[in-house]
Amino acid sequence: MKPSWAAELGERLGGEVERAVLLPGGASKEAWAVDLRAGEGTSALLVRRAAGGVIHADTLSLDHEFRVLEAAQAAGVSVPRPVTYLGELGGREAFAMERVDGETIGRRIVRDPPAALPLQMAEELVRIHAIPPETLPFLPEANTVARMREELDSVNEPHPAIELGLTWADERLPRGREHVVCHGDWRIGNLVVTEAGLGHVLDWEFARLGDPAEDLAWPLVRAWRFGADDRRLGGVGEVEPYLERYNELTGREIALEELAVWEVLGNAKWAVGALTQSRRHLNGLERSVELAVLGRIAAEMEYELLDLIERAA
Amino acid sequence: MTDRPTAPELLEAVTEFLATEVLPTASDHRFKFRTLVALNALGIARREIASADQSASEEELSELAKRIRAGDIHGGDLDHLKEHVAAKLRISNPGYLDRYP
Repeated sequence: MKPSWAAELGERLGGEVERAVLLPGGASKEAWAVDLRAGEGTSALLVRRAAGGVIHADTLSLDHEFRVLEAAQAAGVSVPRPVTYLGELGGREAFAMERVDGETIGRRIVRDPPAALPLQMAEELVRIHAIPPETLPFLPEANTVARMREELDSVNEPHPAIELGLTWADERLPRGREHVVCHGDWRIGNLVVTEAGLGHVLDWEFARLGDPAEDLAWPLVRAWRFGADDRRLGGVGEVEPYLERYNELTGREIALEELAVWEVLGNAKWAVGALTQSRRHLNGLERSVELAVLGRIAAEMEYELLDLIERAA
Repeated sequence: MTDRPTAPELLEAVTEFLATEVLPTASDHRFKFRTLVALNALGIARREIASADQSASEEELSELAKRIRAGDIHGGDLDHLKEHVAAKLRISNPGYLDRYP
């Protein structure tokens, strides 16, 4: 059955909605696969729409996410084509973009990753970091250590291992590097991968201004290797060529040792994320066994960050 | 004492029900995934009940967390924390530790 707003959407996009299917996942935002017939042709769209639940305080509004998508497209980043910001659709904020083909399931991608993927990731990230920040004045400034401590306090459970990761990283992070537009969730799972390699970059709701090395190191986090532990770059390849290509194209001189520091911070970040998500269940915001068990998965990131610190010594 | 089945035996019964009667009927991918997550959750609960609780007290962990946040890291903290987290993992996901040769 089509949603109640299907006719309204068709009218506003100058066509008729033939099909609209809610895709799984997405606690704060819905994603609908929509087929729109206009004239002779049918176009495949993806409609992002606010969900009933509380929106994570730290994510962009749909209006801002759409503007980031437009800025990314203008800067030559491979993103699904932004179609239109819809404002209210059936009483909730929404926008439409092109629906693209390819694989986003991490476990499937790491099974047989395209050889070109690591260098393509470096090149794409260079384009993202070149998006002119003045076009996106609403982006928040990243201050990850402070934000993670705040979120950890809200969890109300002592986690000395995460504290060690945050303190250790905080003492070693570079200061004063110019902030750039960061994707904020740059990893396998948020990239559409085809046989040829990197297709499109998705999920811009965590975009922010930050140190480019934070994006660069995020796919190294073990959880984002989806079981292919020995390929440190997201389970798809080696870090060195990826880092080298990024440095070559940007003139930045980010060292492998620095990425290891951001990798520790990344593990602390995902540990805190897992704890806060389990609280959505425990606080009754969104009852779900999947969210609940995340509280017990945080220990995996704790162990990983301790192991990384030990090996860095 | 309570009457049988005991808590571990009840968890075992529910685990068997999910594994043998619910899981094989799960045709929808999402439903199957959630059933596996539920089985995993029961496994954590069973291991926790079976383990003698030797975990550090909340008070002790709070003090340690506060001290580390204040930047006062001691030489033995890393080893101590690794053992503390490994103990948590032996309950939540014992197989995970095999990934660290």
